Formats: sequence, C-alpha cells, structure tokens
Amino acid sequence: MIWQLDLSVLTLIVICAFATIMVKDLLSAAIIFGAYSFLMCLLWTEMGAVDVAFTEASVGAGVSTVLFFAAVYQTSRKVGARKSGRLLSKAFALIAALLTGLVLVIAEADFPGFANPFTPASLHLSPYYITQTLHDTNVPNMVTSVLADYRGFDTMFETAVIFTAGLAVIAILRRFKKEDRHDLPEPYVISEGYPDTIIRFVARQLVPFIQLFALYVVAHGHHSPGGGFQGGVILGASFILLAISFDFKIVLGIMSERWNVLLGNIGVLIYAGIGFLCLLLGANFLDYSMLSKVLPATDKIMARSHGMLGIEIGVAIAVMAIVISIYLNIVSHGKYDKGL
Amino acid sequence: MTLVVILLTLTGLVFFFATTIGILRFPDFYSRMHAAGKGDTLSSLIILLALVLYNFHDINLANLLVAIKILLIVVFIFMASPTATHAIIDAGYEASIKPWMKKPEEES
Amino acid sequence: MDSFFIGIGVALCFLMLLTLHRAVHGPTAIDRIMGVNVIGTKTTILLVVIGTIYHRVDMFVDIALAYALLNFIVTIAASRYFHHRKNLIPKGYGFRIRPEEKK
Repeated sequence: MIWQLDLSVLTLIVICAFATIMVKDLLSAAIIFGAYSFLMCLLWTEMGAVDVAFTEASVGAGVSTVLFFAAVYQTSRKVGARKSGRLLSKAFALIAALLTGLVLVIAEADFPGFANPFTPASLHLSPYYITQTLHDTNVPNMVTSVLADYRGFDTMFETAVIFTAGLAVIAILRRFKKEDRHDLPEPYVISEGYPDTIIRFVARQLVPFIQLFALYVVAHGHHSPGGGFQGGVILGASFILLAISFDFKIVLGIMSERWNVLLGNIGVLIYAGIGFLCLLLGANFLDYSMLSKVLPATDKIMARSHGMLGIEIGVAIAVMAIVISIYLNIVSHGKYDKGL
Repeated sequence: MTLVVILLTLTGLVFFFATTIGILRFPDFYSRMHAAGKGDTLSSLIILLALVLYNFHDINLANLLVAIKILLIVVFIFMASPTATHAIIDAGYEASIKPWMKKPEEES
Repeated sequence: MDSFFIGIGVALCFLMLLTLHRAVHGPTAIDRIMGVNVIGTKTTILLVVIGTIYHRVDMFVDIALAYALLNFIVTIAASRYFHHRKNLIPKGYGFRIRPEEKK
C-alpha cells in the first residue's frame, strides 16, 4: 500500500473519467474508457490484489474495449440529443446522483478503517483461510482455493451467468432473414478495407504463442495469479485478433456458431458434472475430496486440487466460446457476413 | 550492481521523458507517431533490463526463470509495438490526414 | 532502494499525465488511440516496478505480459475501424461541451 503511487494513479483515473463523459464523440469516449480500464488495473495491482487486476486487465481493458469499438462501428459515432426538456432531465439526473452519493458516504462512515486488523472479517475469517488453505487443499494460491473450492457454488453460477449473457446477445441481435437489413445513414464513407501484409504476418506468428500463454495461465492458476476466467478471456482475445487482422469468415470457419454455443454448454456441463459426480460418490455437491475414489493414486487432499483444476478447465472453455460468440454477433450486427 | 541498475533506470526514464515531450510538441500526427513508436519501445527495453539485473542479487534457478520471463515481455514488445505503430499510421493515411509542410519561404 | 523505485513509479505516473493530455485533447480520434497505446506500454513497465517494490516480481510478470498483449489487440482493433469508416472528425465533435454551429 504505497500512498504516493496510490494518489497519482487515482488522480489520473479521475481525469480519465471526466474526459470520458465530456467528449462528445463516441469512438473517442470508448478509447479513453480503455485507458481508464488500464489505470484501474494498475490501482488494484498496487493494492496487492493481483487476481482482480489480472481479470480487469483481460476483461475490462482488453475484450470490453474491443466490444465497444465493434458496437460503435455498427451504429454511429454521434450522440443523439433531444432538443426539448433537456434541462429538466439533467436536473433530475443530478439530484438522483447526489442522493445516491450521499447515501453511500453515510454508509461508509460506519466502515472500519482501511486494513484494520481487528475487524470481524480479519479476526475470524481470513486467518482460517490463510492457515488452512495449504493444509486442506495443497494449493498455495489462496484466492483460487477460495474461489474454486470453499465458495465453488458461486463460481458455478457465475459461469452460468456468462453463458446466459452469450445467449442474450444471440437472442437480441441474431437475424436470419434477408429483409431485416437496413443501410447506414448518409455521411459515412464505407469501404471494404484492404488486406495488410505486416499485420497479417505478425498476427499469424503471434496467435499460437498467445494461446499457449492462455493455457499456461489456466493451468498455473494454483501457484500464480491466473485461473480459468483470465485464461479463457485471453484465448477468446486471440481469436478476436485473428478476426481483426484476417477476414471475419476465417474465424467463422474455425469456430462456427454451432460450436460456440456447444462449447459454452460443455464448459458449464463440466463444472456441474464434476459437482454431480461428487454427489454420486456419496458426498455433498462440489465436495471434491470424494473424487479420490475415482482418480487413481490420489488421497483426499490432492483430489481437491485436481477437482479445482477440472472446474477451471470447464470455466476456461465456456468463457472462450462465449467471448468469441459475443464478438461475432456484435461486430456483424447479427448477420454474420463481414466484420471489423 | 546497484549502481548499474540506477544508471540504466534513469536512462530509461530520460528516454520516456523525451518520448512524452515529442508527443506533446510535434506539429503533426505522423511525427508524433515517430516519437511514440520508437521512444516507447527503447525505453521499455532499458528499464526492463535494469529490473532483470536488479533481480540477480543472488543467482538461483527461480531468479533465472523470472529473468527469462521478463525478457519474454521485452521480446513481445519488440514484435508488437512496431506493428501497432504501423497500424495506427496506416489508419491515419487511410483517413486522409494531411502531413505538416513547412511554409515556402519568400524569395527576396 | 525501495524509495528509489517509488520515485521512479511517481515519475512514470507524471509522464502518463502528460500523455493523457494528448489522449484527451488530441484534435482527431487517432491521436487518442496513440495516447492510449503509450499509456498502456507505460503501465506494463509500472506493473513490473510495483512488483519489484513488493519484492515479489514473479507474481507480477504474468500480469505485465497479458497487459502488453491486450494493449496490442486494442490498438489494432481501434485502427482497423478507420479502414472501414473513413471520416475522421464527424462535424462538430471533439472536446467541447456544446457542438459547434453548422456552417
């Protein structure tokens, strides 16, 4: 907790936030919002929360910004403004924001001090995890063990929520009939975009190494910051790089629409399937120590570590498929003909 | 060893400073991209090299692996940053940004 | 040695502030893309510096590598936009509170 760096990064974040709101061009606002996500990841690293910073870097600063660009590409860069009644709606929004802020500040006065060692969470809960994690599950990374073992039920529903988000994008945007097309309004000059040799060569050389790094992040999540979510998002981002530098149809040839939804299903199925297997073997749902009956040559402690690896693989597969599916839907407006 | 680390880090910081002054003060988009693309990559190399040397205060296998990983970041930045610079300048050329020309002098 | 690296971190943050001026105030959208690219590279360096301050570099190197990767992908995506939609500044936009008047 270094207060000098904290103060400087927070100043930059506030400036970025103001600039995102006040710039009138939507593409530039998306770009500055990408910078805001970059700096937010830095703030969390500086506080020592490396897993959260990794997730913010991959999801917020990486994929989310590219999805903003895809959305602006398909709609427009202008902010639509109503001419009448602007002052009333602005006053209403100001009062609502001030009230919410006031409620939050009053609630915050009751919190214990920052890093106070005598709060209930630090006295009873955290010492249990800090002392017992390596002894119970043989996994040094405490965040991964809390996420995947002690609170594994929450993570399963988070994966289901990601899958539902992919389904929601398909349900809203996907269109199959030709007469749903409409053309963009006049002031935009549209062209096909010519193929660029340098970007194609470098992307083709880099994509296998990016995918290898993503698999390393998934598998090494027990000992270093990482895990299923981050690895899955980086895998999806490698396919997005392929779609941007080459043609849209090439990614559609590798990961077709049917395979995307199927792999999203399979990811959640792996997660719930491991939990159900533990139920069949005679323990609670998602109690991995019973897997030692099925896996050869493991005792109960190592079975928990292997169970966590299994569900991380399920999460990575689901997240990769859904990230690719959401990108393909947004960038082609559901028509699947051409993209960014 | 500590002296070498301090010297290398300060050199990297000087190059970063030069990059930032170039981004602010050059008159045209293309010249700013020159400053950003080249200065950025070189400064990253120098500062990361300094951190690799700082990590070697006692030589064992774990430190060697961390040093190789940091050099992997350098290799990646060397491959990716010039490509990104090329992509941005290409986008500027496609969007027809006019380069800054010096005004022709009056002949007296 | 710790305070030296904290000083380096604060100096990098100050340089990021100067680059942010170009990212916010750049007259065209492409200047902003360039500013965000430079901010991303500086953040990668700052992550490894923070790891050195905490004396656990091995935890922070993975994040720095993923960061450099995603910086690259975002820059390529942003610049591919301008191959398809070629108008650079839609009329009347930029860092202003009110759009400018029609000529």
